[in-house]
Amino acid sequence: MTEIGQERPSDDTALYVFAVCTDPEPAGVTGLPGVTDEWPVRTLPLGKLTAIVQSVRAAEFTDEVWQARLSDQSELERYARSHHAVVSAAAAACPTVPLPMATLYLGEERARHALNEEADRFRAALKRIAHHEEWGVKVYTPTGSPAQDTSNPQDRVPAPAGARPAPGEGLAYLRRKRGMQEKRERHLEDGLRVAETVDTELRGLAAAFRRLRPHGARLSVDQGVQVLNATYLVADHRADELESLAQELRVRTGAHIEISGPWVPYSFVGEV
Amino acid sequence: MSSRDLSASPGGAVAPYRSGQPAQLADVLERVLDKGIVIAGDIKIDLLDIELLTIRLRLFVASVDTAKKAGIDWWETDPALSSRAARSALQEENDDLRERLKQLESTADDAAPPALTKERRNV
Repeated sequence: MTEIGQERPSDDTALYVFAVCTDPEPAGVTGLPGVTDEWPVRTLPLGKLTAIVQSVRAAEFTDEVWQARLSDQSELERYARSHHAVVSAAAAACPTVPLPMATLYLGEERARHALNEEADRFRAALKRIAHHEEWGVKVYTPTGSPAQDTSNPQDRVPAPAGARPAPGEGLAYLRRKRGMQEKRERHLEDGLRVAETVDTELRGLAAAFRRLRPHGARLSVDQGVQVLNATYLVADHRADELESLAQELRVRTGAHIEISGPWVPYSFVGEV
Repeated sequence: MSSRDLSASPGGAVAPYRSGQPAQLADVLERVLDKGIVIAGDIKIDLLDIELLTIRLRLFVASVDTAKKAGIDWWETDPALSSRAARSALQEENDDLRERLKQLESTADDAAPPALTKERRNV
């Protein structure tokens, strides 16, 4: 469907699909920039459902262009945030199934046909996530972690250049290294145990849950590593309970627990 | 786009809601790209990880002529994509091994005891 005054997309266009939702005209969506300046974000009717789409230049969304784009961090960020903005706006207006970035079809008819084939999956996904939000949880090992060498500083006086090592110094060094290693391992085990505790308790509140791969992020050099990156599908009315439970767990475990959300439930529509 | 970060400082004091704070990029990416994608570093994204990401990206570009619908995992068997990834990993490993070999060879020469060197010359 074209807008008055808008150039009609030609044959070298493709259709980018952001999401599928229930409202034929969800508020606050069509004004967003989306992933290109050339054509507006708009709706595509799919019977009882509606797709949120945008015409794009097919040449700008080929496999090669897309891979190059994903390798450029600022481009990647730009597209990811643009995509997410449209998805989130739709979800704020009505029940919405988010699609991942870069779902494209060469033409409206193709899109309509392909998306209509998925109608049952979309309906099942909508049912699953209705009145729920996704919350991300990241846990970092507790503070006071012995990530540094806490051995006696006297043992670490460096020998003057050219001097032969005194007997026993080598052994002391090895013992120190092993001690540090053991501390690190114990600390990691403690961290993983905390992660299990947090995950188990949060699952109690969730309709569904999923472990994500840890980011490998550190809060700071001294504060250890991320030991849990998980996401939970939680009923709208239980968001406060999640917050309280997280706080209780912080106090109980001493761990640094980061909550992000609410998210549109990207992580819980895929297995439909 | 809303994202509340309810992180607390270690002392237990709860940070106030930071409504309007943009979501962390890593969190956005692991949702809009796919679940379970590795994102390395604090916010920086490793190039190698991006190559893995592109392979898993769900890119549907359906052909008008054939109306063939691409399967979700088609790029894993696509020789262009998978061999490229395989080739670069292999190249890196080769370079690494060559470097290490060079280092070992030069160290071995320096450390050769005089007796052994003499023996070699007589051979």
